[in-house]
Amino acid sequence: MGHAAVRRYVAIFLAALLALAGVLLGLWWAPFVIGVALGALDRRARIVVPPGAAIGLIAWAIPLAAVHIQYGLGPTTRSLAAIMGFDHQGVLPVVLTLLVGTLLGATGAWLASAGRSALTSARTGT
Amino acid sequence: MTAESAIAEPPAVMTAVAPRRRRAKLPLLNLVGAAIVSAAVLYVSFFPVAGLPALGAAFNPTTGAWTMAADAQVTDRMLHLSGLQQPVRVVLEKDGTAHVTARTDHDLFVATGYVHAKFRLFQMDLLRRQGAGRLSEIVGKVALDTDRFELQLGLLRTAELEWAQLPASDPLRDALLAYAQGVNDRITEAESTHQLDAMFTLLGYHPQPWTPVDSLLVKGDMTQTLNFTDTPLVMALLNKSLGTDLASEWFPILPPNQQAPYDPGPYGKVEPPQGIATMTAMTDAQSASAQAVYERLAALPAGLVSKGGASNNWAVAGAKSASGGALLAGDPHLHLTLPAIWFQLTQESPGFHTSGVSIPGTPGVLIGHNQHIAWSLTDAQNQQTFFYMEKEDSKTHPGMYFWNGAWRKYITVSYQIPVLGGATEHLTVKWSVHGPVISERGQTTSVWWSGNLPSQDLGVLMNAGRASNWQEFREALRGWYSPTHNFVYADDKGNIGLISAGYYPQVAKGQPWMPMPGTGEYDVTGTIPYDDIPQAYNPPDGIIWSANQRQVTSSYPYYIGTASNFFDPGYRANEIHRVLSQPGKLSASDMQALQTDTHDFLASEIVPVLLQSLSKEQLTPQESTIVQLLRNWDFRMEINSSAATIWSYFYGWYVYEVFNPWWKSRAVPVEMQEISDTLDQDLEAWTLHDPSNRAFSAPGVGSRSAADAQRAAFHKMIPQIAKDLGKDPNSWTWGRVHLRVLENLAEVKGLNYGPRPDRGDGRTPLAAGDYPSTHGPSWRMVVDWGSGTFQGIYPGGQSENPASDWYMDRVDTWFAGRLNPMLTAEQAVAAGGIRTWDMRP
Repeated sequence: MGHAAVRRYVAIFLAALLALAGVLLGLWWAPFVIGVALGALDRRARIVVPPGAAIGLIAWAIPLAAVHIQYGLGPTTRSLAAIMGFDHQGVLPVVLTLLVGTLLGATGAWLASAGRSALTSARTGT
Repeated sequence: MTAESAIAEPPAVMTAVAPRRRRAKLPLLNLVGAAIVSAAVLYVSFFPVAGLPALGAAFNPTTGAWTMAADAQVTDRMLHLSGLQQPVRVVLEKDGTAHVTARTDHDLFVATGYVHAKFRLFQMDLLRRQGAGRLSEIVGKVALDTDRFELQLGLLRTAELEWAQLPASDPLRDALLAYAQGVNDRITEAESTHQLDAMFTLLGYHPQPWTPVDSLLVKGDMTQTLNFTDTPLVMALLNKSLGTDLASEWFPILPPNQQAPYDPGPYGKVEPPQGIATMTAMTDAQSASAQAVYERLAALPAGLVSKGGASNNWAVAGAKSASGGALLAGDPHLHLTLPAIWFQLTQESPGFHTSGVSIPGTPGVLIGHNQHIAWSLTDAQNQQTFFYMEKEDSKTHPGMYFWNGAWRKYITVSYQIPVLGGATEHLTVKWSVHGPVISERGQTTSVWWSGNLPSQDLGVLMNAGRASNWQEFREALRGWYSPTHNFVYADDKGNIGLISAGYYPQVAKGQPWMPMPGTGEYDVTGTIPYDDIPQAYNPPDGIIWSANQRQVTSSYPYYIGTASNFFDPGYRANEIHRVLSQPGKLSASDMQALQTDTHDFLASEIVPVLLQSLSKEQLTPQESTIVQLLRNWDFRMEINSSAATIWSYFYGWYVYEVFNPWWKSRAVPVEMQEISDTLDQDLEAWTLHDPSNRAFSAPGVGSRSAADAQRAAFHKMIPQIAKDLGKDPNSWTWGRVHLRVLENLAEVKGLNYGPRPDRGDGRTPLAAGDYPSTHGPSWRMVVDWGSGTFQGIYPGGQSENPASDWYMDRVDTWFAGRLNPMLTAEQAVAAGGIRTWDMRP
C-alpha cells in the first residue's frame, strides 16, 4: 500500500471520527457535512461516495449499537415499528435509521465531488 | 499502481467533436443529479413528508426516538429541582408506583409534577391541547373540528376564569404553581438530555411550559367526557318523529323499570316543581335546529360528548363486615387507554397523607385513602347540559338576541388555531347569557353546561383527601360543582356514607330534557340546596352503593334528569344491591369478587320469561339445544358460556323486533343504539309487567304480545348466530364474540393491548359493553379498614413509553381480576426492588 493510499484511509478514518463526534453531540447531519468535505477533495464520485456512505453509516451505527449495548433495543425497535405502521417488524426502524445515516454521508460526498467535477470541466472546457 | 492511478483519467484531447460535447455535459448532469438527490435526502431528513416524521431528527440515534430506550430505564438518582424548598424522596416500587415524601406541601406538589411529567408528559400535553383547542397544531387539519368545538364549548375560557378567580391565599394556588414548576423542571431536564417522549420527536414539536391553567384544562376535559351530553337534542328528535305521546311514554322522567336507589328518603318538605311541563310537541324549525346541532356533535370524535356513564362503588359498614371494619370498593369505568388515565402514587407531607390514583396533569389524588378515610366515585348522571334556542331578529336587531324583555348583544371571543401544514384558523365564538352558541344553522342554539361554571373543584378534592371523618369529608365536597359524582366513603371507625355532590341545575319551568326557548323564562335559576341533594350516612342495613343509577325514588321533589340516557338503566346497581343484601358478613375478597361479577341482572329476569314463551313451540333439534343451554345457564357472561352469546343475540333481536317497525314507519333519525339503555328498560318493564303494551303491535306487524315478539326474535336470531359462529350452539362461546381492547392514546394500533376475549357485558358489574369493548373498570380499589389492607389495580402501567417495562405490566393482573397491595413508602422499601430518587433544591 502506497503513501497516498495510507493518507486516503487515514483521512477517511478521521472524517468518520469527526462525523461520529458530531452525531454524538446531537448534530445528526454531521455525516452530510463531512461527506461534502470529503467529496470536495476529489471530483470522481466512485472514489468519494463509498467512503462517504461508510462514514454516514458508521456515524449513525456506532451510537445505535451503544444504545443497544447499554439499554437493549428490542422493545424500542418494536415500538417504533408499531408507531410507523409496520406492526412489530422491529428490524425496519433499524434499517431505516442506518439508511438515513448512509444516505447523508453518501449524498454529501456525491454533491461536492459533482460540484468539483463541474467546476473543473468548466475551467478546462472539457 | 496506486488506487488513484488505477482509475483512468479522461483523455485531455478528444478526437471527435460530438463526443466532446457530450462529455462536456456529463459533469453538469452529474451535478444536477447529485443536487436533486441530496436535496431530497436533506428534505426528508429535516421535514416531515407523507405522514413520516422528519427522518433525520426523528431517527438519529443520539437525540431522536431511539432515546426511548434510555428513557425506559429507571435507576436510582440524585437530582436537583429548582422549585424545591427542602429535600424530597421519591420511592418507585417494582411496578413504578411512586411514593413521594416531602417536608412541605409545596415540595410535595413540585415533586408530583416532576414525577407525572417524567412518565406521562406526552399524555399531559395531549390532554391540555384537547381542552385548549390546539391539537391541529401538531396533527394538522384532521383535528380542526375538534379544536373549533372545544374552543366554542369554552374549556379554555373557563379554565382561565378559574385561575383568575383563585384567591392568592388559596392553598390550591400554590399547589398548582408548584405542580407546574415540577413539570417544567422535568421538561427542561428532558430537553437537555434529549429524553423527551419519543412522540414529541416523531411529531416534531417541543412541549411548551406547563401552567396552572393547563391543570384546570385537564380537569375540564374530564368534566366534558363525563357530563357534556347531547340528550336534549336526541329527545327533541324523538319527540318530533315518534310523536309526543309515544316519546313521553317511552322516554319518561322516572325510570320505567324497577331500580335500586341508594337514598330512599325522606327528602324534606319541598313541594314538587310546578313549572316542569309534560312533553309537548316541537315545531319543524325547532326540530331542524336540534337535528343540525345533533349532527354536528355526532361528527365529533368519541369522548367529547358523554354517552352515559358506567362506574361502580359501594361500602359496607363495620357491623356487616367480617373484619369488623368498614369495607369500600370502587371501580370507575372509563375509556381504557395505554397509557391509562390514572397514575398511582402516595403523597406524604405535613398536610397530605394520601394514597391512590391521580390524573396526570393535576396535582392531587382523586380516588384513594388517607390515614382515616377512603373514598371512590362514580358519575352521578344528573342533567348538566341544557340547550337554548335564542330568539333573534336579523332585520331589526342584527347580532343580538332577545332575553328577559330586551335585546342584547352577544359577547364575542376570538381565537387563533394554528394548523400544522396549513393556514392559521380564525375562530370567533359568540356567547349569550346561557353559554356559547354552538350552532347557527337555521335556529341559533346556545348551550348551558355546568362545566362552564368557574369552580375550584381541584381544591375541593384536595380538601376531601385531607378529611378525617364524614363531617369533614361532606363539608369539603360542598364546593364541588362538576361533574356531579357519587362520592362513596368509609372510615376507620366503621362508618360509611355516600353523597352525590355537585351542581344540580334547576329551571323555573319548561321541558329541560329538550331544547328550550332562550327568552329568559326557562333559564337555570340555581342548584338544589346541599342538604337536599342525594346522600346517605350509616344506613340501617349497613350497605350503600351506586352504579350511575338514579339515586332517589319517585318522591324526590327536584328535577334531576330523565331516565333517558342521563341515568343508567340500573342493572349493575340492582346486581350489586342483590349481592350486598344477602345475609351474612362480607369480606374484602367478596368485594373483589363483586367487582368482577358477570351476573347479568336483566338476563336473570328475561330469560325465564323467554323460556316460558317458547315452552309450547315446536322446536328443531338445534333450537332445542339452544333452549337447553339457556335453561342450564347461571346468567353469567363468562368467556366459555354459549348461553351468554345466545342471550346477547336474543335481546338485541328482541329490541330490534319490537322497535324497528316503529323506527321505520316514523322515520326516526336517531340510531336505536344511541338510546339502547332506555329501550332496554322499556322492554324489560313491558315484558315483565305489561306484555300487551301497544309497542308490541307496531305498524305493519299487526296485533301481538310480548311473547309473540320474543318468539319472532328467537327464530330470527338463530340464522344470524349460525352465520357468524357456525351451526353448533355449543361452540357459540361468549369469548368468540366479546373482545376487549386497550387502545393506545395516540391511536397507534400496534401499541394497543388485545383484542383479547373477555367476560362481562354492558349490564354486569364487570362492565364490558360494546364489540370490541374499549371501556370498563379503569381502576379497581378495595379497602378493608378492619384488617388495614388497601388494594388496587388499573389496566396499563405507569409509563407512557411503550419500550418501558411499565407500559402495560399491570394488564394481565387486571384481566385476571386480581388486585395489587397499595403499599406505604416504608412497606415498598421493605418489599425490595425499588428505585429511589433523592431530589434536592
